[in-house]
Amino acid sequence: MSSIVSFAAVSKQYKRGRESVAVLNDFNLEIADKDFVAIMGPSGSGKTTLLNLIGGLDVPTSGSVTVAGERIDHLSPAALSHWRARHVGFIFQFYNLMPTLSAERNVEIPLLLTSLSRAERKRKVTAALELVGLSDRRKHKPSELSGGQQQRVAIARALIADPTILICDEPTGDLDRHSAEEILGLIQILNRQYGKTVVVVTHDAKAAEFATHQLHLDKGQLLDSPSRTAA
Amino acid sequence: MKFLPLVWSGIWRKPWRTILIFLQVSVAFALFGVLQGLKTGVQQAVDAARADLLLVHSRLSSLTEGLPISLLEPIRSVPGVRVAIPVELFGGYYQKPEQGVGIVAVTPDKDWTAAFTYTIAPEYLAAFARSRTAALVKDLTAEKYGWKIGDHIPLKSNKMQKNGSGDWAFDVVGIFTDSDVGGGRYIIIINLPYYDEARATGTGTVNHFNVAVTDPKVAVSVADAIDRISSNSSHETKTESLRELAQQQVQQIGDFDFLIRAVVGAVLAALLFAIATMMVQSVRERTSELAVLKTLGFTDRAVFLLILAEAITVCIAGAALGLALATAAMPIAARFVPGLSMPKITLAIGLACAVLVALMSAAVPAALAGRLKVAAALAGR
Repeated sequence: MSSIVSFAAVSKQYKRGRESVAVLNDFNLEIADKDFVAIMGPSGSGKTTLLNLIGGLDVPTSGSVTVAGERIDHLSPAALSHWRARHVGFIFQFYNLMPTLSAERNVEIPLLLTSLSRAERKRKVTAALELVGLSDRRKHKPSELSGGQQQRVAIARALIADPTILICDEPTGDLDRHSAEEILGLIQILNRQYGKTVVVVTHDAKAAEFATHQLHLDKGQLLDSPSRTAA
Repeated sequence: MKFLPLVWSGIWRKPWRTILIFLQVSVAFALFGVLQGLKTGVQQAVDAARADLLLVHSRLSSLTEGLPISLLEPIRSVPGVRVAIPVELFGGYYQKPEQGVGIVAVTPDKDWTAAFTYTIAPEYLAAFARSRTAALVKDLTAEKYGWKIGDHIPLKSNKMQKNGSGDWAFDVVGIFTDSDVGGGRYIIIINLPYYDEARATGTGTVNHFNVAVTDPKVAVSVADAIDRISSNSSHETKTESLRELAQQQVQQIGDFDFLIRAVVGAVLAALLFAIATMMVQSVRERTSELAVLKTLGFTDRAVFLLILAEAITVCIAGAALGLALATAAMPIAARFVPGLSMPKITLAIGLACAVLVALMSAAVPAALAGRLKVAAALAGR
């Protein structure tokens, strides 16, 4: 199966005051298309940095990052924004919905960047909310929804523009076990039935079990070599 | 238009703060509207003041020093003079001292109204010329005191009659209007020959002469020629056009334009800082939300424009309300300051200023929002 994510000799350093901290060093990674990968590791191991680099939210200090067939490490900020809009759906731990917008308005946001008509946007929003089982909550604001429901709205928002890859940063970290399993089950469906490549960062071993592959990171290095190539 | 819900969402993130800023913008632009209306009104009044009308008064004082009526014929003989009319002004009141009336005594010679800003129907003029005790009443005066044609109106004045009485009585023969907004609200016109014969003091003198010239272009040379008639005499004259006098009245307040500009400038500057503070605070509070927008594919430019749009929406809405209030208040204010008006250009300038204030105040916060580093913002750094 072809790789959808490819890291070659990637290094990422951050400046903290006068010090330079290396989070990833000469890092290589391949993730296959339509895979469901869980990235695990202790705090500070570089999980979020890895996720940000895959999602084009950050650029490496050196090395090449190719995602969805495009080298994104040298794209301009504007080009990277356009690329994200086309290829990546993000799901965050704290949902990050717009508090004053209804569920359907939140889901519609990525479509505002497209040339779709209002009717087309509405049709897609309806379909996405149906998919996550929230058709009857479309007019509700985030504060009127439970944590699990808010995360479903966030999933619908991540899906709406039909991205190539779904990036989830601790998607169940703020949910109870029951809601967490529902959300992970939903993400699994998106992977298996809709063919979305999913990369999840999690501390939760049970959540990681939903993935087809697990990567363990520590101090910016992949620990278990068999999982290095997750395909 | 499709981004409107997002703009709206940003505006109402903190409703009370938005309402307070909205009110602040409204009050500022209401003040802007009233002051600009005042400025425009005054300018219109000055522009409307006729340049072909000259007032010949004493060089010593236009109020207290009289001029001999004998100057009338020499003035009329100056080339370029179309009509010259002697005018005596004095005050009186109707029934009680608070009900003041300005009394304008004129000689009803041929075409005498050409030397005034009054509009009087021909039949009233004819009636006025026929009766020595006739009075023409300004529309506002008639309205205030309920006078109508045929009424016999008793007035009291400190200008005494030869019999020692301060009581005067006139017969209303017509109503007139006055296009000069600074010409006095409550006035009547009476016959100067009748008044001159009856008064105890000042006989043979008048406050000034009203002169209409044949062409406004010759007004300056005619004025100089009139003033030369009595130069080096005990009653030297100073001749000025009505427009010059209006301009002088405005200048008596000070540099009127500067005053208005300074107040409006200070108000808008204060508003600019207030909105800038609000926008900086708003952007800071919404760092993670803006970061999410960028995560979803919004470019730096799109986020920048979104913040600008929020500021522009609040400013335009607030300014529209403020200017609407100023426009609604204008007819009421015009009762106290004649000539006040709110031309459409002032409304357009006001809205343009609102956009400018919004752009200037939101430029920095919007730029900060646009340059937000997504990874750092999402991590709360």
